[in-house]
Amino acid sequence: MIKFTLNGRQVSFEGNPLTRLIDVIREDLGLTGTKEGCGEGECGACSVLRNGHLVTSCIIPVGAVDGDEIVTIEGLRDTEQGRCIIESFAEGGAVQCGFCIPGMVMAAQALLLTNPDPSEEDVRLAISGNICRCTGYDLIVDSILLAARKGRGLW
Amino acid sequence: MVERCFVTKDLDEALRIRKETGAHPLAGGSDLMVQYKQGIGITPVFPWPVMVISGIEELKGIRKLDDGRIEIGALETPSAIAASDLVPWHVRQAASRMGAVALRNTATIGGNIGNASPKGDLPQPLILLDAVVVLRSADSVREVLLDDFIRGSKKTDLHEDELITAIRITEVPYSYAYYRKVGTRRANAISKLSISSLVLIEDGIIKDFRASSGAAGPKVIRSHEVEDLLKGHAVDEVPSLIPAITEGWDKAISPHAMPAYRRGTTARALEHFLSAVATLPPGPVIE
Repeated sequence: MIKFTLNGRQVSFEGNPLTRLIDVIREDLGLTGTKEGCGEGECGACSVLRNGHLVTSCIIPVGAVDGDEIVTIEGLRDTEQGRCIIESFAEGGAVQCGFCIPGMVMAAQALLLTNPDPSEEDVRLAISGNICRCTGYDLIVDSILLAARKGRGLW
Repeated sequence: MVERCFVTKDLDEALRIRKETGAHPLAGGSDLMVQYKQGIGITPVFPWPVMVISGIEELKGIRKLDDGRIEIGALETPSAIAASDLVPWHVRQAASRMGAVALRNTATIGGNIGNASPKGDLPQPLILLDAVVVLRSADSVREVLLDDFIRGSKKTDLHEDELITAIRITEVPYSYAYYRKVGTRRANAISKLSISSLVLIEDGIIKDFRASSGAAGPKVIRSHEVEDLLKGHAVDEVPSLIPAITEGWDKAISPHAMPAYRRGTTARALEHFLSAVATLPPGPVIE
């Protein structure tokens, strides 16, 4: 049996250990905030945090996260840091169709955890694995910089 | 097909499973999970038994060995490698340019080597530095030069009962160092070509010159013949030797893997580096 922490809660999984983490999160545990885009780890829509590090949950078998701490958008949005990023995205007009946004928010959180005062270049690098088909990158970048300013001291 | 999957966090157990079932190791999953994916909501199906080894602590860590060599555990990620002061510069450069953040937090050096893709990022600088790979089975341990271990595209000398456990690198001194990766995007790109080089100068004489090209053939290209063209010569002879070196290098890389524009870019990269060696004071990094 695979056991891991999801958004601070102990969960277990008893199926095939090669089941993709995203399928366990969305189908078995019912958290559908995490999106699937390419299914190849290229687009970042399925990004979650694993032990504080950004990963794409579509290419990770659940057997590989045994004992790990996973945080999804549902876990992050209830924290002060998560609220700050999400409110900044709203204020900055970062969201168009919205499909990439959970992944973008997770990537922003991963960045701010290690670099609370990023430059624009840092932000662009941090979201270089997250693809937005509406191509609203500039407003997303601005919104992450806004979150860093507004949330000074949170990270 | 009855598929079998094992999950183990113990190296001895992993080696036993490997010997008894021939299960293939799955480390980060960033190559295998994509290669054998079935689609949304469907679990990947593999043609052989699989063993998830990502939790084996003995395969983690970056350390300096008593003999001075740097050892990188097979499960270390590009992120950890890029951030380690112990790891030689060329390898850190390649690690820092692999994919994007999430990929760098997922992929492993053991997987990048074991998968033996001609476009793999880490073998190229490792082969420049004559790194060796440590291979363990339940009954044996051996070290093999990485350049010999990778036999061709997707082909390695890994025995059916072995696992890659670590990579060991002897520090190579240099006065100038160069790394260049060309992809379709600045970030998150698969290599169109990559090249590493280094030059060591002592008392005005070229003591060492090395170059390696990635995505330039079925495996990473090194050419001792071309490297010997420069060794032993005085620094002020370098400009006159550059044409012979770029020509020799062009012959060493595979015409099938390298269409004209990539050959041209490779030659210009090498020429750029060697011109800097001839004209600039030791940096050591040439941009």
